Amino acid sequence: MFRNQYDTDVTVWSPEGRLLQVEYAMESVKQGSACVGLRSNSHCVLGALKRSVSELSWHQKKLLEIDDHMLVGIAGLTADARTLAKYMRNECLHNKYVYGTPMPPHQLMADVADKHQRTTQTYVRRPFGVGLLVASVDPLTQKPHLYQTCPSGNLYEFYASAIGARSQSARTYLEKHHETFGDASRDDLIVHALQALVGCVSGDDELTKENASIGIVGKDEKFTLLEGDALQPFLDRLELKGGDDDEEEAGDDAAAEAEPMET
Amino acid sequence: MASSGSGYDLSAATFSPDGRIFQVEYAGKAVENAGTVIGIHAKDGVVLGVAKPLYHKMIVPTTASYKRIHTVDVHAGVATTGFLPDARVLVGRAQEEAADWQEHYGSKVPPHVLADRLGHYVHYFTLHGALRPFGASCVLGGYDVDTKECGLYMLEPNGAAYKYYGVATGKGKQVAKTELEKLNLHKQDAESSMDVATAVKNVAKILILLHKENKDSDGKPMELELSWICEASKWKHAPIPKDVLTAAKEWANEQLEEEDEDDEEEEEAMEEG
Repeated sequence: MFRNQYDTDVTVWSPEGRLLQVEYAMESVKQGSACVGLRSNSHCVLGALKRSVSELSWHQKKLLEIDDHMLVGIAGLTADARTLAKYMRNECLHNKYVYGTPMPPHQLMADVADKHQRTTQTYVRRPFGVGLLVASVDPLTQKPHLYQTCPSGNLYEFYASAIGARSQSARTYLEKHHETFGDASRDDLIVHALQALVGCVSGDDELTKENASIGIVGKDEKFTLLEGDALQPFLDRLELKGGDDDEEEAGDDAAAEAEPMET
Repeated sequence: MASSGSGYDLSAATFSPDGRIFQVEYAGKAVENAGTVIGIHAKDGVVLGVAKPLYHKMIVPTTASYKRIHTVDVHAGVATTGFLPDARVLVGRAQEEAADWQEHYGSKVPPHVLADRLGHYVHYFTLHGALRPFGASCVLGGYDVDTKECGLYMLEPNGAAYKYYGVATGKGKQVAKTELEKLNLHKQDAESSMDVATAVKNVAKILILLHKENKDSDGKPMELELSWICEASKWKHAPIPKDVLTAAKEWANEQLEEEDEDDEEEEEAMEEG
Protein backbone atom coordinates (compact mmCIF):
# COMPACT_ATOMS: atom_id res chain seq x y z
CA MET A 1 0.00 0.00 0.00
CA PHE A 2 2.74 2.43 0.90
CA ARG A 3 5.87 2.99 -1.16
CA ASN A 4 7.73 2.44 2.06
CA GLN A 5 7.02 2.74 5.75
CA TYR A 6 9.34 5.64 6.45
CA ASP A 7 7.55 8.25 4.39
CA THR A 8 4.35 9.00 6.28
CA ASP A 9 5.61 10.90 9.33
CA VAL A 10 7.89 13.91 9.55
CA THR A 11 9.47 12.61 12.73
CA VAL A 12 10.78 9.36 11.20
CA TRP A 13 14.25 9.02 9.69
CA SER A 14 14.67 6.60 6.78
CA PRO A 15 17.52 4.08 7.10
CA GLU A 16 19.57 6.24 4.71
CA GLY A 17 19.25 9.23 7.02
CA ARG A 18 16.66 11.08 4.93
CA LEU A 19 13.38 12.73 5.86
CA LEU A 20 10.97 11.63 3.17
CA GLN A 21 8.00 13.73 4.30
CA VAL A 22 10.20 16.79 4.04
CA GLU A 23 11.42 15.75 0.62
CA TYR A 24 7.81 15.32 -0.51
CA ALA A 25 7.00 18.80 0.77
CA MET A 26 9.85 20.03 -1.39
CA GLU A 27 8.14 18.39 -4.38
CA SER A 28 5.11 20.62 -3.90
CA VAL A 29 7.35 23.61 -4.59
CA LYS A 30 8.00 22.15 -8.04
CA GLN A 31 4.24 21.98 -8.68
CA GLY A 32 3.75 25.71 -8.21
CA SER A 33 4.14 28.09 -11.11
CA ALA A 34 7.58 29.55 -11.68
CA CYS A 35 9.18 32.42 -9.83
CA VAL A 36 12.55 33.97 -10.62
CA GLY A 37 14.75 36.38 -8.71
CA LEU A 38 17.95 38.25 -9.47
CA ARG A 39 19.89 41.17 -8.17
CA SER A 40 22.36 43.82 -9.23
CA ASN A 41 24.47 45.93 -6.90
CA SER A 42 21.57 48.30 -6.38
CA HIS A 43 18.31 46.49 -7.08
CA CYS A 44 16.64 43.17 -6.45
CA VAL A 45 13.95 42.00 -8.87
CA LEU A 46 11.45 39.15 -8.67
CA GLY A 47 9.43 37.85 -11.58
CA ALA A 48 6.55 35.39 -11.43
CA LEU A 49 4.16 33.56 -13.69
CA LYS A 50 0.61 33.90 -12.47
CA ARG A 51 -1.94 31.16 -13.05
CA SER A 52 -5.68 31.50 -13.46
CA VAL A 53 -7.94 28.56 -12.68
CA SER A 54 -10.42 29.40 -15.44
CA GLU A 55 -11.13 31.85 -18.21
CA LEU A 56 -13.39 33.80 -15.87
CA SER A 57 -11.04 33.95 -12.91
CA TRP A 58 -8.37 36.43 -11.98
CA HIS A 59 -4.77 35.37 -11.99
CA GLN A 60 -3.51 34.20 -8.60
CA LYS A 61 -1.27 36.71 -6.82
CA LYS A 62 2.36 35.52 -6.73
CA LEU A 63 4.35 38.42 -5.33
CA LEU A 64 3.52 39.62 -1.84
CA GLU A 65 4.66 42.80 -0.17
CA ILE A 66 6.25 42.34 3.26
CA ASP A 67 7.55 45.82 3.96
CA ASP A 68 8.89 48.83 2.06
CA HIS A 69 12.23 47.04 1.69
CA MET A 70 11.10 43.47 1.20
CA LEU A 71 8.88 41.29 -0.96
CA VAL A 72 8.40 37.56 -1.47
CA GLY A 73 7.71 35.46 -4.53
CA ILE A 74 6.07 32.11 -3.91
CA ALA A 75 5.96 28.67 -5.50
CA GLY A 76 3.90 25.87 -3.99
CA LEU A 77 0.89 26.00 -1.70
CA THR A 78 -0.35 29.59 -1.79
CA ALA A 79 -2.17 29.33 1.52
CA ASP A 80 1.02 28.23 3.29
CA ALA A 81 2.84 31.15 1.72
CA ARG A 82 0.26 33.59 3.00
CA THR A 83 0.73 32.24 6.54
CA LEU A 84 4.46 32.86 6.22
CA ALA A 85 3.96 36.28 4.64
CA LYS A 86 1.67 37.29 7.49
CA TYR A 87 4.33 36.18 9.98
CA MET A 88 7.01 38.13 8.12
CA ARG A 89 4.89 41.28 7.96
CA ASN A 90 4.24 41.02 11.67
CA GLU A 91 7.91 40.62 12.46
CA CYS A 92 8.72 43.69 10.35
CA LEU A 93 6.08 45.79 12.10
CA HIS A 94 7.23 44.52 15.48
CA ASN A 95 10.85 45.41 14.72
CA LYS A 96 9.86 48.89 13.63
CA TYR A 97 7.70 49.38 16.73
CA VAL A 98 10.28 48.08 19.20
CA TYR A 99 13.55 49.27 17.70
CA GLY A 100 12.39 52.07 15.43
CA THR A 101 14.22 50.63 12.43
CA PRO A 102 13.17 48.40 9.54
CA MET A 103 13.76 44.66 10.03
CA PRO A 104 17.23 43.49 8.90
CA PRO A 105 16.45 40.94 6.16
CA HIS A 106 19.09 38.35 7.14
CA GLN A 107 17.71 38.24 10.65
CA LEU A 108 14.13 37.77 9.47
CA MET A 109 15.21 35.07 7.02
CA ALA A 110 16.99 33.13 9.77
CA ASP A 111 13.77 33.28 11.82
CA VAL A 112 11.68 32.14 8.86
CA ALA A 113 14.07 29.25 8.24
CA ASP A 114 13.86 28.22 11.89
CA LYS A 115 10.07 28.34 11.63
CA HIS A 116 10.32 25.85 8.77
CA GLN A 117 12.70 23.65 10.75
CA ARG A 118 10.30 23.40 13.69
CA THR A 119 7.65 21.81 11.49
CA THR A 120 10.11 19.09 10.50
CA GLN A 121 10.98 17.99 14.01
CA THR A 122 7.64 17.89 15.80
CA TYR A 123 4.70 15.65 15.15
CA VAL A 124 1.96 18.25 15.41
CA ARG A 125 2.43 20.21 12.19
CA ARG A 126 3.27 19.27 8.63
CA PRO A 127 6.11 21.02 6.82
CA PHE A 128 5.25 24.10 4.77
CA GLY A 129 4.67 23.12 1.14
CA VAL A 130 6.07 26.30 -0.29
CA GLY A 131 9.37 27.79 -1.42
CA LEU A 132 9.98 31.51 -1.11
CA LEU A 133 12.23 33.83 -3.02
CA VAL A 134 12.75 36.93 -0.93
CA ALA A 135 13.99 40.16 -2.47
CA SER A 136 15.21 42.68 0.04
CA VAL A 137 17.39 45.68 0.68
CA ASP A 138 19.32 45.79 3.93
CA PRO A 139 18.20 49.03 5.59
CA LEU A 140 21.63 49.53 7.17
CA THR A 141 23.91 48.99 4.19
CA GLN A 142 21.36 49.71 1.43
CA LYS A 143 22.65 46.58 -0.32
CA PRO A 144 20.19 44.24 -2.07
CA HIS A 145 19.94 40.59 -1.01
CA LEU A 146 18.08 37.68 -2.59
CA TYR A 147 17.20 34.76 -0.33
CA GLN A 148 15.59 31.42 -1.03
CA THR A 149 13.83 29.26 1.54
CA CYS A 150 12.95 25.61 1.30
CA PRO A 151 10.41 23.47 3.24
CA SER A 152 13.35 21.65 4.89
CA GLY A 153 14.41 24.83 6.68
CA ASN A 154 17.44 25.38 4.49
CA LEU A 155 18.22 28.96 3.63
CA TYR A 156 20.35 30.19 0.76
CA GLU A 157 21.46 33.55 -0.51
CA PHE A 158 21.79 33.81 -4.27
CA TYR A 159 22.88 36.25 -6.93
CA ALA A 160 20.02 34.83 -9.02
CA SER A 161 17.68 31.86 -8.71
CA ALA A 162 14.41 30.35 -9.87
CA ILE A 163 11.87 28.01 -8.27
CA GLY A 164 8.66 26.29 -9.35
CA ALA A 165 7.45 24.36 -12.39
CA ARG A 166 9.83 24.36 -15.40
CA SER A 167 12.18 26.65 -13.48
CA GLN A 168 15.23 24.72 -14.71
CA SER A 169 15.18 26.63 -17.98
CA ALA A 170 15.13 29.91 -16.06
CA ARG A 171 18.07 28.79 -13.93
CA THR A 172 20.01 27.85 -17.05
CA TYR A 173 19.34 31.30 -18.48
CA LEU A 174 20.32 33.02 -15.23
CA GLU A 175 23.48 30.93 -14.80
CA LYS A 176 24.55 31.94 -18.26
CA HIS A 177 24.03 35.64 -17.65
CA HIS A 178 24.41 36.19 -13.89
CA GLU A 179 27.91 37.60 -14.18
CA THR A 180 26.53 40.62 -16.05
CA PHE A 181 23.83 41.35 -13.47
CA GLY A 182 26.07 43.20 -11.01
CA ASP A 183 26.23 46.42 -13.01
CA ALA A 184 22.91 45.99 -14.82
CA SER A 185 20.36 48.77 -14.61
CA ARG A 186 16.99 48.34 -12.94
CA ASP A 187 15.19 48.08 -16.28
CA ASP A 188 17.70 45.56 -17.62
CA LEU A 189 17.16 43.39 -14.56
CA ILE A 190 13.43 43.42 -15.23
CA VAL A 191 13.97 42.36 -18.83
CA HIS A 192 16.31 39.57 -17.66
CA ALA A 193 13.68 38.40 -15.18
CA LEU A 194 11.02 38.30 -17.90
CA GLN A 195 13.37 36.63 -20.35
CA ALA A 196 14.11 33.94 -17.77
CA LEU A 197 10.37 33.47 -17.26
CA VAL A 198 9.71 32.95 -20.96
CA GLY A 199 11.19 29.44 -20.74
CA CYS A 200 8.95 28.55 -17.81
CA VAL A 201 5.67 29.08 -19.67
CA SER A 202 3.88 25.82 -20.49
CA GLY A 203 3.76 24.62 -24.07
CA ASP A 204 0.75 26.32 -25.68
CA ASP A 205 0.84 29.43 -23.51
CA GLU A 206 2.89 32.58 -23.73
CA LEU A 207 4.15 35.32 -21.45
CA THR A 208 1.71 38.25 -21.46
CA LYS A 209 1.02 41.33 -19.40
CA GLU A 210 -1.82 39.35 -17.80
CA ASN A 211 0.16 36.39 -16.49
CA ALA A 212 3.50 38.03 -15.79
CA SER A 213 4.28 39.92 -12.63
CA ILE A 214 7.38 41.85 -11.55
CA GLY A 215 8.35 43.15 -8.14
CA ILE A 216 11.26 45.45 -7.37
CA VAL A 217 13.07 46.79 -4.35
CA GLY A 218 16.18 48.89 -4.66
CA LYS A 219 18.65 51.18 -3.00
CA ASP A 220 16.43 54.21 -3.42
CA GLU A 221 13.28 52.42 -4.41
CA LYS A 222 10.60 51.16 -2.10
CA PHE A 223 8.60 48.07 -2.99
CA THR A 224 7.13 48.46 -6.49
CA LEU A 225 4.87 46.03 -8.28
CA LEU A 226 4.65 46.03 -12.07
CA GLU A 227 1.65 44.31 -13.57
CA GLY A 228 -0.65 44.71 -16.56
CA ASP A 229 -0.03 47.70 -18.83
CA ALA A 230 3.01 48.82 -16.84
CA LEU A 231 4.75 45.61 -17.95
CA GLN A 232 4.03 45.96 -21.66
CA PRO A 233 7.06 48.14 -22.50
CA PHE A 234 9.33 45.53 -20.94
CA LEU A 235 7.57 42.64 -22.65
CA ASP A 236 8.06 44.44 -25.96
CA ARG A 237 11.79 44.25 -25.41
CA LEU A 238 11.73 40.43 -25.18
CA GLU A 239 12.29 37.77 -27.73
CA LEU A 240 9.34 35.53 -27.08
CA LYS A 241 9.48 31.94 -28.05
CA GLY A 242 6.52 29.69 -28.64
CA GLY A 243 4.11 32.60 -29.17
CA ASP A 244 2.17 32.29 -32.47
CA ASP A 245 2.92 35.70 -33.96
CA ASP A 246 6.34 36.06 -32.51
CA GLU A 247 7.41 32.65 -33.67
CA GLU A 248 6.94 33.68 -37.25
CA GLU A 249 8.86 36.88 -36.72
CA ALA A 250 11.72 35.43 -34.72
CA GLY A 251 11.66 32.01 -36.32
CA ASP A 252 13.73 33.09 -39.31
CA ASP A 253 16.49 34.44 -37.16
CA ALA A 254 17.98 31.18 -35.86
CA ALA A 255 20.96 32.90 -34.26
CA ALA A 256 18.76 35.15 -32.19
CA GLU A 257 16.78 32.12 -31.04
CA ALA A 258 19.85 30.31 -29.81
CA GLU A 259 21.36 33.30 -28.07
CA PRO A 260 18.81 35.04 -25.86
CA MET A 261 18.92 38.78 -26.11
CA GLU A 262 21.67 40.51 -24.17
CA THR A 263 20.40 43.74 -22.82
CA MET B 1 19.30 -3.51 6.25
CA ALA B 2 18.20 -6.11 8.77
CA SER B 3 16.27 -3.58 10.82
CA SER B 4 14.16 -2.48 7.89
CA GLY B 5 10.63 -3.87 7.91
CA SER B 6 10.87 -5.21 11.44
CA GLY B 7 8.79 -2.32 12.76
CA TYR B 8 11.30 -1.64 15.52
CA ASP B 9 12.89 1.23 13.61
CA LEU B 10 9.96 3.59 13.18
CA SER B 11 10.14 5.55 16.39
CA ALA B 12 12.80 6.96 18.68
CA ALA B 13 10.67 5.61 21.53
CA THR B 14 11.08 1.99 20.43
CA PHE B 15 13.88 -0.37 21.40
CA SER B 16 14.71 -3.24 19.07
CA PRO B 17 14.88 -6.74 20.66
CA ASP B 18 18.68 -6.47 20.83
CA GLY B 19 18.54 -3.14 22.63
CA ARG B 20 19.21 -0.66 19.85
CA ILE B 21 17.33 2.48 18.92
CA PHE B 22 17.39 2.51 15.15
CA GLN B 23 15.89 5.96 14.68
CA VAL B 24 18.92 7.46 16.41
CA GLU B 25 21.26 5.43 14.22
CA TYR B 26 19.43 6.61 11.10
CA ALA B 27 19.78 10.22 12.26
CA GLY B 28 23.52 9.51 12.45
CA LYS B 29 23.40 8.57 8.77
CA ALA B 30 22.33 12.13 7.93
CA VAL B 31 25.57 13.30 9.51
CA GLU B 32 27.71 10.72 7.72
CA ASN B 33 26.49 12.01 4.36
CA ALA B 34 27.23 15.68 5.07
CA GLY B 35 30.39 17.82 4.88
CA THR B 36 33.42 17.08 7.02
CA VAL B 37 34.15 18.91 10.27
CA ILE B 38 37.51 18.69 12.02
CA GLY B 39 38.60 19.93 15.41
CA ILE B 40 42.03 19.91 17.01
CA HIS B 41 42.92 20.65 20.62
CA ALA B 42 46.50 21.86 20.47
CA LYS B 43 48.72 22.65 23.45
CA ASP B 44 47.96 26.37 23.21
CA GLY B 45 44.44 26.56 21.79
CA VAL B 46 41.73 24.91 19.69
CA VAL B 47 41.09 24.95 15.96
CA LEU B 48 37.81 24.19 14.16
CA GLY B 49 37.52 23.59 10.43
CA VAL B 50 34.82 22.85 7.85
CA ALA B 51 35.01 22.21 4.10
CA LYS B 52 32.10 23.79 2.26
CA PRO B 53 31.43 22.55 -1.26
CA LEU B 54 29.94 25.27 -3.49
CA TYR B 55 27.15 23.31 -5.15
CA HIS B 56 25.37 26.17 -6.88
CA LYS B 57 27.00 28.50 -9.35
CA MET B 58 24.92 31.46 -8.28
CA ILE B 59 25.13 31.12 -4.50
CA VAL B 60 26.64 34.01 -2.56
CA PRO B 61 29.60 32.32 -0.84
CA THR B 62 30.41 34.92 1.80
CA THR B 63 26.93 35.29 3.21
CA ALA B 64 25.95 34.74 6.82
CA SER B 65 23.32 32.20 5.73
CA TYR B 66 26.09 29.96 4.41
CA LYS B 67 28.06 29.96 7.65
CA ARG B 68 28.94 26.60 9.13
CA ILE B 69 31.02 27.78 12.09
CA HIS B 70 29.18 29.93 14.59
CA THR B 71 30.24 31.87 17.65
CA VAL B 72 28.03 30.96 20.62
CA ASP B 73 29.72 33.20 23.16
CA VAL B 74 32.83 35.37 23.18
CA HIS B 75 35.02 32.40 24.11
CA ALA B 76 33.20 29.49 22.47
CA GLY B 77 32.30 28.38 18.96
CA VAL B 78 30.72 25.41 17.18
CA ALA B 79 31.39 23.90 13.78
CA THR B 80 28.34 22.13 12.41
CA THR B 81 27.52 19.38 9.96
CA GLY B 82 24.59 17.16 9.00
CA PHE B 83 21.08 18.40 8.27
CA LEU B 84 21.88 22.12 8.48
CA PRO B 85 18.48 23.41 9.62
CA ASP B 86 18.82 21.08 12.62
CA ALA B 87 22.38 22.28 13.16
CA ARG B 88 21.19 25.88 13.28
CA VAL B 89 18.79 24.95 16.07
CA LEU B 90 21.70 23.46 18.04
CA VAL B 91 23.66 26.66 17.56
CA GLY B 92 20.71 28.70 18.79
CA ARG B 93 20.40 26.48 21.85
CA ALA B 94 24.13 26.79 22.58
CA GLN B 95 23.86 30.57 22.43
CA GLU B 96 20.89 30.49 24.80
CA GLU B 97 22.69 28.23 27.28
CA ALA B 98 25.73 30.51 27.27
CA ALA B 99 23.58 33.60 27.83
CA ASP B 100 21.58 31.86 30.59
CA TRP B 101 24.74 30.92 32.45
CA GLN B 102 26.00 34.48 32.26
CA GLU B 103 22.70 35.81 33.56
CA HIS B 104 22.61 33.34 36.46
CA TYR B 105 26.23 33.31 37.57
CA GLY B 106 27.70 36.46 36.07
CA SER B 107 30.59 34.57 34.50
CA LYS B 108 31.39 32.85 31.22
CA VAL B 109 30.09 29.31 30.82
CA PRO B 110 32.89 26.71 31.04
CA PRO B 111 33.13 24.61 27.85
CA HIS B 112 32.46 21.31 29.63
CA VAL B 113 29.20 22.66 31.04
CA LEU B 114 28.13 23.98 27.65
CA ALA B 115 28.87 20.63 26.02
CA ASP B 116 27.07 18.76 28.78
CA ARG B 117 23.95 20.92 28.56
CA LEU B 118 23.82 20.64 24.79
CA GLY B 119 24.16 16.89 25.23
CA HIS B 120 21.12 16.85 27.50
CA TYR B 121 19.13 18.83 24.95
CA VAL B 122 20.01 16.55 22.05
CA HIS B 123 19.35 13.47 24.18
CA TYR B 124 15.81 14.66 24.95
CA PHE B 125 14.94 14.34 21.28
CA THR B 126 15.86 10.65 21.34
CA LEU B 127 13.26 9.81 23.98
CA HIS B 128 9.91 10.70 22.43
CA GLY B 129 7.90 9.28 19.59
CA ALA B 130 6.53 12.70 18.75
CA LEU B 131 10.01 14.16 18.26
CA ARG B 132 12.81 13.25 15.93
CA PRO B 133 16.48 12.94 16.87
CA PHE B 134 18.74 15.69 15.54
CA GLY B 135 20.23 14.83 12.16
CA ALA B 136 23.18 17.04 12.94
CA SER B 137 26.40 16.91 14.82
CA CYS B 138 28.64 19.67 16.05
CA VAL B 139 32.16 20.15 17.26
CA LEU B 140 32.42 22.62 20.13
CA GLY B 141 35.57 24.50 21.00
CA GLY B 142 35.74 26.66 24.09
CA TYR B 143 37.99 28.46 26.53
CA ASP B 144 37.49 28.21 30.27
CA VAL B 145 38.07 31.71 31.63
CA ASP B 146 38.74 30.45 35.19
CA THR B 147 41.11 27.56 34.55
CA LYS B 148 42.65 29.22 31.47
CA GLU B 149 42.27 25.98 29.56
CA CYS B 150 40.70 25.12 26.24
CA GLY B 151 38.33 22.25 25.58
CA LEU B 152 37.18 20.42 22.46
CA TYR B 153 33.96 18.42 22.42
CA MET B 154 31.81 16.64 19.86
CA LEU B 155 28.06 16.33 20.13
CA GLU B 156 26.48 13.33 18.47
CA PRO B 157 22.83 12.78 17.48
CA ASN B 158 22.43 10.34 20.40
CA GLY B 159 23.26 13.08 22.91
CA ALA B 160 26.82 12.02 23.69
CA ALA B 161 29.25 14.89 24.27
CA TYR B 162 32.77 13.52 24.61
CA LYS B 163 35.95 15.52 25.01
CA TYR B 164 38.65 15.06 22.40
CA TYR B 165 42.22 15.96 21.47
CA GLY B 166 41.34 15.63 17.81
CA VAL B 167 38.00 14.80 16.23
CA ALA B 168 36.37 14.48 12.84
CA THR B 169 32.77 13.93 11.77
CA GLY B 170 30.74 13.94 8.59
CA LYS B 171 31.65 12.50 5.21
CA GLY B 172 35.10 10.88 5.13
CA LYS B 173 35.48 10.91 8.89
CA GLN B 174 37.38 7.61 8.85
CA VAL B 175 40.13 8.98 6.62
CA ALA B 176 40.23 12.17 8.66
CA LYS B 177 40.51 10.19 11.91
CA THR B 178 43.41 8.17 10.52
CA GLU B 179 45.18 11.39 9.57
CA LEU B 180 44.49 12.95 12.99
CA GLU B 181 45.87 9.89 14.77
CA LYS B 182 49.18 10.34 12.94
CA LEU B 183 49.58 13.73 14.62
CA ASN B 184 50.02 12.29 18.13
CA LEU B 185 47.65 14.85 19.59
CA HIS B 186 47.11 12.88 22.78
CA LYS B 187 50.77 13.25 23.85
CA GLN B 188 50.43 16.85 24.91
CA ASP B 189 53.36 16.84 27.34
CA ALA B 190 55.82 15.48 24.84
CA GLU B 191 58.21 17.80 23.07
CA SER B 192 56.55 17.03 19.78
CA SER B 193 53.19 18.34 20.97
CA MET B 194 51.43 20.51 18.47
CA ASP B 195 50.82 24.25 18.65
CA VAL B 196 47.83 26.04 17.09
CA ALA B 197 49.81 27.35 14.12
CA THR B 198 50.67 23.80 13.08
CA ALA B 199 47.16 22.60 13.91
CA VAL B 200 45.66 25.16 11.51
CA LYS B 201 47.90 23.89 8.71
CA ASN B 202 47.00 20.28 9.44
CA VAL B 203 43.26 20.93 9.57
CA ALA B 204 43.51 22.63 6.16
CA LYS B 205 45.59 19.75 4.83
CA ILE B 206 43.18 17.04 5.94
CA LEU B 207 40.15 18.91 4.59
CA ILE B 208 41.83 19.47 1.22
CA LEU B 209 42.97 15.85 1.13
CA LEU B 210 39.40 14.64 1.72
CA HIS B 211 38.08 16.96 -0.96
CA LYS B 212 40.61 15.62 -3.45
CA GLU B 213 40.04 11.97 -2.54
CA ASN B 214 36.28 12.21 -2.93
CA LYS B 215 35.42 11.40 -6.52
CA ASP B 216 32.14 13.35 -6.38
CA SER B 217 33.71 16.58 -5.22
CA ASP B 218 37.12 16.59 -6.93
CA GLY B 219 37.52 19.53 -9.27
CA LYS B 220 34.45 21.28 -7.90
CA PRO B 221 34.95 24.55 -6.03
CA MET B 222 35.26 24.28 -2.27
CA GLU B 223 35.68 26.83 0.46
CA LEU B 224 37.47 26.31 3.76
CA GLU B 225 36.01 27.87 6.89
CA LEU B 226 38.36 27.79 9.88
CA SER B 227 38.24 29.35 13.31
CA TRP B 228 40.37 29.26 16.44
CA ILE B 229 40.66 30.19 20.08
CA CYS B 230 44.24 30.97 21.13
CA GLU B 231 46.49 33.73 22.34
CA ALA B 232 46.57 35.37 18.92
CA SER B 233 42.76 35.73 19.04
CA LYS B 234 42.99 36.99 22.64
CA TRP B 235 41.31 33.76 23.74
CA LYS B 236 38.18 34.71 21.84
CA HIS B 237 36.50 32.52 19.26
CA ALA B 238 37.34 34.12 15.91
CA PRO B 239 37.68 33.25 12.25
CA ILE B 240 41.28 32.58 11.27
CA PRO B 241 42.83 35.70 9.66
CA LYS B 242 42.87 35.58 5.87
CA ASP B 243 46.66 35.64 5.50
CA VAL B 244 47.06 32.74 7.95
CA LEU B 245 44.40 30.77 6.09
CA THR B 246 45.99 31.42 2.71
CA ALA B 247 49.40 30.37 4.04
CA ALA B 248 47.88 27.21 5.54
CA LYS B 249 46.23 26.31 2.24
CA GLU B 250 49.49 26.78 0.34
CA TRP B 251 51.40 24.67 2.84
CA ALA B 252 48.71 21.98 2.67
CA ASN B 253 48.77 21.80 -1.12
CA GLU B 254 52.59 21.62 -1.17
CA GLN B 255 52.60 18.85 1.42
CA LEU B 256 49.98 16.85 -0.45
CA GLU B 257 51.90 17.17 -3.71
CA GLU B 258 55.11 16.03 -2.02
CA GLU B 259 53.33 13.06 -0.52
CA ASP B 260 51.93 12.16 -3.95
CA GLU B 261 55.42 12.22 -5.42
CA ASP B 262 56.77 10.09 -2.58
CA ASP B 263 54.01 7.57 -3.19
CA GLU B 264 54.85 7.38 -6.85
CA GLU B 265 58.55 6.89 -6.11
CA GLU B 266 57.70 4.15 -3.67
CA GLU B 267 55.54 2.44 -6.24
CA GLU B 268 58.31 2.61 -8.79
CA ALA B 269 60.78 1.22 -6.28
CA MET B 270 58.39 -1.61 -5.54
CA GLU B 271 58.02 -2.44 -9.20
CA GLU B 272 61.80 -2.42 -9.71
CA GLY B 273 62.40 -4.47 -6.58
